[in-house]
Amino acid sequence: MSTMSQKNGEGKRSARERMQEERAAEEAKGRRLRKLWISGAVLAVLVVAVVVGILVMNGRTTSYTASQAPAGTIGANNLVVPVGATNAPSTLTIYEDPRCPACGEFEKSFHTTVNQLLGAGKVQVHYHIVSFIDRHDQGTGSKNGANALGCAQNAGLFHPYHDVLYANQPDETVDAWSDKSKLITLAKQVPGLDTPAFEACVNNNSFGAWVTAVETDFDKSGYNSTPTILLNGTSAYPSYKGTGLTPQTLVTMVNAANKGKPLGTLTPAGASALATPRPGAS
Amino acid sequence: MITGHRDGLDSETTSGGAGGKRLGRLSPQICDWIGTAVRLGLTVVWAWAGLAKISDPETAAQAVRAYQILPESLVKPFGYGLPFLELAVALLLLIGLGTRIAAFVSGVLLLVYIASIASVWARGIAIDCGCFGGGGAVAASKTEYLQEILRDTGFLLLTAWLLWRPASKLSLDRWLAAD
Repeated sequence: MSTMSQKNGEGKRSARERMQEERAAEEAKGRRLRKLWISGAVLAVLVVAVVVGILVMNGRTTSYTASQAPAGTIGANNLVVPVGATNAPSTLTIYEDPRCPACGEFEKSFHTTVNQLLGAGKVQVHYHIVSFIDRHDQGTGSKNGANALGCAQNAGLFHPYHDVLYANQPDETVDAWSDKSKLITLAKQVPGLDTPAFEACVNNNSFGAWVTAVETDFDKSGYNSTPTILLNGTSAYPSYKGTGLTPQTLVTMVNAANKGKPLGTLTPAGASALATPRPGAS
Repeated sequence: MITGHRDGLDSETTSGGAGGKRLGRLSPQICDWIGTAVRLGLTVVWAWAGLAKISDPETAAQAVRAYQILPESLVKPFGYGLPFLELAVALLLLIGLGTRIAAFVSGVLLLVYIASIASVWARGIAIDCGCFGGGGAVAASKTEYLQEILRDTGFLLLTAWLLWRPASKLSLDRWLAAD
């Protein structure tokens, strides 16, 4: 009797245990399957996000062709604004951001000298109007300023407007030129610049794609601060071949580089663009 | 016998093993809630990091280029793709789906970022890490490499919690009974 009931009890228990084990195994299997599905879904989310992201960002890049550049720009893809005699013996390459305070300092110290060198046909200046301060300090002042300079270039009045902007440069951290009307107000200091076409150009960000292309070119150039100044392709700021750059040494350096070469001759249009008096003096 | 069976958010109190590991004398309940807090904390970090980078493709590309690690052909894929990978990680952590995988990706990203920042620091390049938007060159006096690495290390510790114990309250993993 006792052995029978024991056997029965064991039989019952083992049957129950088997059922429990089967149920557990099934649940474990279901869990593994769910985990697998979730892992698949998660990996899909990650991959899709990256692919969609790259496509979205690519779509958001502004396409640019050289024909979108302001009139009179030169160089590969028309990213450079030339000022002065094209046959001048020396070339001063200047990378400047409208919002960059060090550029404001450079302009304050050097613009008279640079304008004299330009007027004398000793140098031509190749301006790269970059706009990376907006990234560091947030805002749109650099891009708006660069676009407005493009508009002025399109009207043949880049250089006087350039001088006006730097003479009235707001503090870097105050993004004053996010307000485009301020750029238009400053244009009134350059005779003949403030036309409806210019205002529309500033307000519509007409050279925005060009501004972006100039900045991207600067990004890839390896130069990473402004002002970057090159004299005939050699870095000249803060020093040129070991000599610190001052307005006086700049003249000496240019004269040395120009030795034995004929001076450039300004076109009448180029000369008149330089002749505009500096704001405050006018 | 504990089979791991659960039918809701609050049925795992019977066992320390149900929701994952026990941390010392903290109950699994509390550990689950810590997991939720860590998840949401990292969600904020990754969402912020991702969103700050997607507004301008050129800036995103330059932030990567400035490290001078990747060749130009890979600058854009990484600059464009990474912010969205960060956003995807944020989304997964927010809903608590595949938490361990999301934590793994989060950890890999943070290790790569820490290594990259250490690399530019060692090479004497002066950049903003571009971790939360921006990026690119800065004045040498404006670099904050140590702070950036310490901050990312903090995020890495949070990530480590989820890698070790991905179970948490208010998660899809829990809802689907798959954590």
